[in-house]
Amino acid sequence: MKKLSKLITSPAVTVTAFVLAAALLLFSTIGGTRAALTYYSDAYTSRLATYDIGVALVENGTTVASRNYSSAGDGSWSTQDGSLLQNMIPEGETLHVGQKYDEALAVANTGSINEYVRVSIVRYWLDSDGNKVRTLTPDLIDLNMPGNGWVIDPEASTDERCVLYYTSLVEAGGVTAPLSDTLKIDSAVVNKVTQTESGRGTIVTTYDYDGVQFVIEANVDAVQEHNAEDAILSAWGRSVTVSGGTLSLN
Amino acid sequence: MKKKNACLAALAVVLVLTASIGSAMAYFTAYTTAAGGYTINLGSKTTIEETFSDWTKHVVISNAEKSEPVFVRARAFGGSAFTITGSGSGWRDGGDGFWYYEEPLAGGSSTAELTFSIAGVPENALVGDSFNIVVVYESTPALYHEDGSVYADWTMILDAEGGEA
Repeated sequence: MKKLSKLITSPAVTVTAFVLAAALLLFSTIGGTRAALTYYSDAYTSRLATYDIGVALVENGTTVASRNYSSAGDGSWSTQDGSLLQNMIPEGETLHVGQKYDEALAVANTGSINEYVRVSIVRYWLDSDGNKVRTLTPDLIDLNMPGNGWVIDPEASTDERCVLYYTSLVEAGGVTAPLSDTLKIDSAVVNKVTQTESGRGTIVTTYDYDGVQFVIEANVDAVQEHNAEDAILSAWGRSVTVSGGTLSLN
Repeated sequence: MKKKNACLAALAVVLVLTASIGSAMAYFTAYTTAAGGYTINLGSKTTIEETFSDWTKHVVISNAEKSEPVFVRARAFGGSAFTITGSGSGWRDGGDGFWYYEEPLAGGSSTAELTFSIAGVPENALVGDSFNIVVVYESTPALYHEDGSVYADWTMILDAEGGEA
């Protein structure tokens, strides 16, 4: 043991380790340097291919929001910002409590590389001032999610938020199966009331859900296919297993 | 000297191990988001208008502007000496004493006239004799099945919480 310790701490071993470290550092940059030289020397005959990632939220077959990184490789991106539910109610009609409306949400891969995706659905109520009303239950905002290859992450989900992972790889240019199909406001909103006695035997009944706005929010994340397990853990903080192009939650 | 060498060796190892951290953390990711919603309107205010002529009560029920659609029903009570017969276009005898207006009453609209004819009035009735016919009506919010068809739930029980005046 003493001999080993003496050997490790000897100047010769230290110098050797430094030389080795310096060599590793130098060689680790050679790849990039060589690539740069190749690029410049073959400028007339070759193309430098860069990859870009992009993702879009699709509602009933129409893209409502997207983010696409530039293929120039300069880190720039373009976005499309839209709103959900804009065409849910036919013109001239009002929202019918209890009625099911079409609400098929899916994710499209608008980049040039394959990707894994997840969607976080958040449901809540707002009062007339735009403040969140926490005493009203999000369960009455009934977005039906039939599965279709999406799995719910129970660890990240709450009454208000539902996090879904698409278990299949989404190829460049591809679209996931819909994670939802219909939306309805539960008829129970009609019988939730508060009764107040205003004196002289008069009881005033007020609907708890009258005048409040329901909101559905969809947040879409995408991550590269390559080294997906580490990428998902690093980017989303979720441990998953990817095997044969299928993702499962750990 | 030995301690210094050990530190230098450790430093060398750390440098080598961390040389590739930059590339390991650079993953392709993307993100987008959208939101939307609608305001729920549930309130309604209904009123009844009654007139009396020729031993007949004429009843019209109205739903105020900006009110949500409601279904309405009405019935008349009188002494056992009288026979009360209801009728009206768009009104249906529910067989339970109530007459039901078949269409939902939209905000700002009124029902067709519902009449309650009173029979059995004594022929020798005199001025000052009294009789009493009372008309009551109820409304309930128009509800919708999942397919969009409208219906009334007259058995609905309110889930009420107490408030303070």
